Amino acid sequence: MPEPNVPVPAQVPPQPELPPCGPDEVALLIDGRPVVAKKGATVLQAAETIGVVVPHYCYHPGLSVAGNCRMCLVEIEKMPKLQIGCATQVAQGMSVKTTTARVKDTREGIMEFLLINHPLDCPICDQAGECRLQQYSATYGKGESRFVEEKIHHDKRIPIGERVTFDGERCIKCTRCVRFCDEVTRTSELTLVERGGHAIIDTFPGMALNNAYSGNTVDICPVGALTWKPFRFAARVWFLKNVPSICSACARGCSVDLAAYQNRVHRITPRHNPEVNGWWMCDFGRQTCAPVHDMPRLTRPIVRPAPGGPGGTTGGGAAPSMGEAVDQAAAALRAAASRHGAGTLAALVSARLTLEEMHLAKKTLAAAGIARIVVPPHEEGQDDELLIRKDRTPNGRGAALLGLGAPDAAAAAALAADVASGKVRGLIVLGEDPVGDGLVRAEGLRGLEALVVVDWWTSATVQAAHVALPSCGYGESEGVYVNCTGRAQRTRAAVRPVDLAEPAWSILREIGRRFGLAGAYASAPAIFAEIAATVPAFAGMTYRTIGEAGAQVGGA
Amino acid sequence: MAYEKLLLRNIHRDDSHTIDVYLANGGYQALRRVLKEVSPDQMLEEVKTSGLRGRGGAGFPAGMKWSFLPKTRDKPRYLCVNADESEPGTFKDRLLIEKDPHLVLEGIILSAYAIDCHTAFFYIRGEFHKGYRIFQRAIDEAYAKGLLGKNILGSRYSLDVLTYRGAGAYICGEETALLESLEGKRGLPRLKPPFPAIVGLYGCPTIINNVETLANVPYIAERGGAWFAGIGRPKNTGPKLFCLSGHVKRPGVYEAPLGTPFMELLNEHAGGMLHPDRPLKAAVPGGSSMKVLPASRCDVLLDFDSLAAAGTSLGSAGGMVMDSSTCMVGALLNLAEFYAHESCGQCTPCREGTGWFVKILRRLETGEGRPEDPDLLLDVARRVEGNTICPFGEAVAWPVSSYVKEFRSEFDDHVTRKACPFGAASVR
Amino acid sequence: MSAVAVPVSPETDRRVDELLTRYPRRGSALLPALYLVQDEKGWISDESMAYVAGKIGVSPAFVAGVVSFYTMYHRKPVGTHHIQVCRTLSCMLRGGREVMNRLRSRLGIEPGQVTADGRFSLEWVECLGACDTAPCAQVNDEDVALLDPAKADALLEKLGQGR
Repeated sequence: MPEPNVPVPAQVPPQPELPPCGPDEVALLIDGRPVVAKKGATVLQAAETIGVVVPHYCYHPGLSVAGNCRMCLVEIEKMPKLQIGCATQVAQGMSVKTTTARVKDTREGIMEFLLINHPLDCPICDQAGECRLQQYSATYGKGESRFVEEKIHHDKRIPIGERVTFDGERCIKCTRCVRFCDEVTRTSELTLVERGGHAIIDTFPGMALNNAYSGNTVDICPVGALTWKPFRFAARVWFLKNVPSICSACARGCSVDLAAYQNRVHRITPRHNPEVNGWWMCDFGRQTCAPVHDMPRLTRPIVRPAPGGPGGTTGGGAAPSMGEAVDQAAAALRAAASRHGAGTLAALVSARLTLEEMHLAKKTLAAAGIARIVVPPHEEGQDDELLIRKDRTPNGRGAALLGLGAPDAAAAAALAADVASGKVRGLIVLGEDPVGDGLVRAEGLRGLEALVVVDWWTSATVQAAHVALPSCGYGESEGVYVNCTGRAQRTRAAVRPVDLAEPAWSILREIGRRFGLAGAYASAPAIFAEIAATVPAFAGMTYRTIGEAGAQVGGA
Repeated sequence: MAYEKLLLRNIHRDDSHTIDVYLANGGYQALRRVLKEVSPDQMLEEVKTSGLRGRGGAGFPAGMKWSFLPKTRDKPRYLCVNADESEPGTFKDRLLIEKDPHLVLEGIILSAYAIDCHTAFFYIRGEFHKGYRIFQRAIDEAYAKGLLGKNILGSRYSLDVLTYRGAGAYICGEETALLESLEGKRGLPRLKPPFPAIVGLYGCPTIINNVETLANVPYIAERGGAWFAGIGRPKNTGPKLFCLSGHVKRPGVYEAPLGTPFMELLNEHAGGMLHPDRPLKAAVPGGSSMKVLPASRCDVLLDFDSLAAAGTSLGSAGGMVMDSSTCMVGALLNLAEFYAHESCGQCTPCREGTGWFVKILRRLETGEGRPEDPDLLLDVARRVEGNTICPFGEAVAWPVSSYVKEFRSEFDDHVTRKACPFGAASVR
Repeated sequence: MSAVAVPVSPETDRRVDELLTRYPRRGSALLPALYLVQDEKGWISDESMAYVAGKIGVSPAFVAGVVSFYTMYHRKPVGTHHIQVCRTLSCMLRGGREVMNRLRSRLGIEPGQVTADGRFSLEWVECLGACDTAPCAQVNDEDVALLDPAKADALLEKLGQGR
């Protein structure tokens, strides 16, 4: 006989309904929230999609799963032991809990283990401010240590590569760096040696970490074990302001961040772009922040007597304003044209210029009647299997698309010969250093009656110039490059130009004005708008549609 | 009661390791019959029926493990024999390898046949130089007599057995670390899943079995799984080799059914305690990685389930006995140093925790322990256990936590006295 | 494959080549190849590692990682008689420490060192799986059982120490 006064068992609150999902998907709960994820995805990846952070060190989306740091342990219903989120695949109906007391306690334990042999280097460690040990200590750590023993010691400041320094005591043996060299560059310079608490990263004697991508190990090292030598002690990262841009070292155009402080770009790191460079960039590109600071800058316009004309030494030079110098430049070109014919004028236009600069170059040269335009190539080595292109200019495609012509070695050689032989009388050089590059000899320039150079540093060609006009260096102005796959990408200014330097398009506009060029050309976006309106390949594109990830040029 | 020796039946014969002696005493008859009359599936079923549980340490039912192999045959299947015996206190596999390798080899061939495997690897620890030479010779003898190679004994079944020497790493006894080592790498355990039966050696379905486990298979083939299941206790079937060492009169390997009482093993087989005036203080029946039993709890049956119920484990049956002269802190320190040396270093809790245990225990043993140190040991052990890639975490956490728990007053004593009460006579 | 110096005899080189096809994957030949090199030369130098790396088709760093993981590969020369004494529990319970102490004092070296004349070296090793004959040791690849300080003396005499 049922007892009428037996209390009804408490109702279990209903689980949230699992959403429907497609044939290749599963639905699960993470901290009570329903998620749909692709089959084969891991718990950690699925959590990311709903903004649930599962802390981790050794996992990296661009590398194989190692599962050794154990920081990503989470609770999964019906499984007695905690499971690592980075390696556990999602399953239909799975219920994952990342915020229980058990998970919190475990994370505290892992943090404690990681810190017991870790040196208290924060005050002198480059990683401070972007160190996962620091971040996770604050969020997940206990806040105090129970370890009173002598820590395990390793060598510090090891020159593990020409550009990378290794600190053995800071290493947490996550093996990201080893996996990078095994799986991405396939050079396998790094290994773990020894075992247990004495396991440490090492190279083989005589075979240092010098592959062209060694800097990526520094990016992915979660702690300050691997540091980038050029950046060592340069600046505290919390002072750095990251500006998204594009690398200019080759035609790949990797997405990068320029990190600026006190008006200087202190380092360049890759920005994730699945369409171009994944998570990586090469070491050459990282080093392109140095020249604008280290090399002698062209800070103010220079006007000198014409090299071939009366008083024709190239020593010294007056220091006029930009306007005055532009006047002189236009006058010299016009004079040469009128004396010898417009056909004796030519232009060397660099494939390092942005689209906006190239567009103004085209307009200005047309206005000045200069029809002979040469884009010299800069090639080194071969395309490698990863990112590096032998074309070491960022905008060769852009030059071709805008009708300036693709980089052309034969045309450049012919132009050089004609300059040397005196067939060319007036030359405008935009962002190139033909003397320094060995294209022409300094003596060969003596026949020129007008040598106008627009550049950012006092190259040998600038030193021979009749008029030298200071332009922005890398990172000092914005503009668009088109990379080797036809992707238009935006660069941005991270620092102010030096002294009187201006973006090259602004200088070219002023030169163009002297030849009657109309049009406001007030800013880089405005110039790009005209490009989009007039060049079919760029139809419909704006800075916004290019965005941070870039956009493929039409019919490229 | 007379117990029919099975696993150790041959070892006292002269030249027991030779194929001639093995054959003369009925060896390879089971194989001969199975190849003629028994299908691989039937052989597998017999092993399942027998209830044979792994003798390497985990005690997982062998037949069930074999049935995890996928049905597809797009990749070759491999059998790896785990002869890496490195669990402190364990030396039973070595005895079989040196004294009756053909019993093991016949077990290998029968098992490989049952799982449709045609290449087996005998992974033997590097330090077993003698065992390696003997087993390689046994393999050569078998090839010469048509018991290995193509078309064994005229059947359609072919099997190659290759030896592989380890190079000094306890962790290579863990099955996935064994596979890594066999593949020519550092012996780092793999993440599981996937399990070796699905993705194993060279990415192919692989079964890893202990030497002693396989040594049982010829008997199962000869007399049937049901007969085998009649030995021992329910769910803990078959004969077992038990090792006993430490403070006993006759350290050695003793065969008895699963479920034999520990005290019978100690007193009747191993001759009792080494010194009559030093009574039993503690024992680990299952090898150093299993929880220690104080003397008051050593009245236990030696099988998987009974020892689990008693708060420890049968493990590798590497029993070690400690008498009243033993400093438990020193004993634990000795083991902690073993684990610190043998940790592969892959995962955070083990890599850092094993070294930490040693440092705390060293201070305790040298009189520099602090009152909070025993609790610290327990808490660190708690944070290692369950959080590692492989069971090595438990292998170090269990001894630490159990020694401290069972002998807490001894640990506290080291702190209050600022010295080891056992002085120079202790383990260290 | 770049030309790497062959630091071993032609016979060893030939046997290493044979190993390359003994296992289903060439990588498995690494551990046995290292043993072959060590059997001939007594230890494994950087040069040997580079040589083996070239044979197997892995990087020298990879080989260094493997060599340094396993205790039985010597990375510097050991004595003609390399005495390895077990330090794990059962051997310690039966007096292993006293055995090692006697060896240390007779030879005048510590574990990890080699005598000046290169004839003897000492090493602590972990459980040798011979606990029934504790305290035990190995000399090169021979087992030595049931040691005590007196037997340690006898062992050294047998090995020719002091002659």
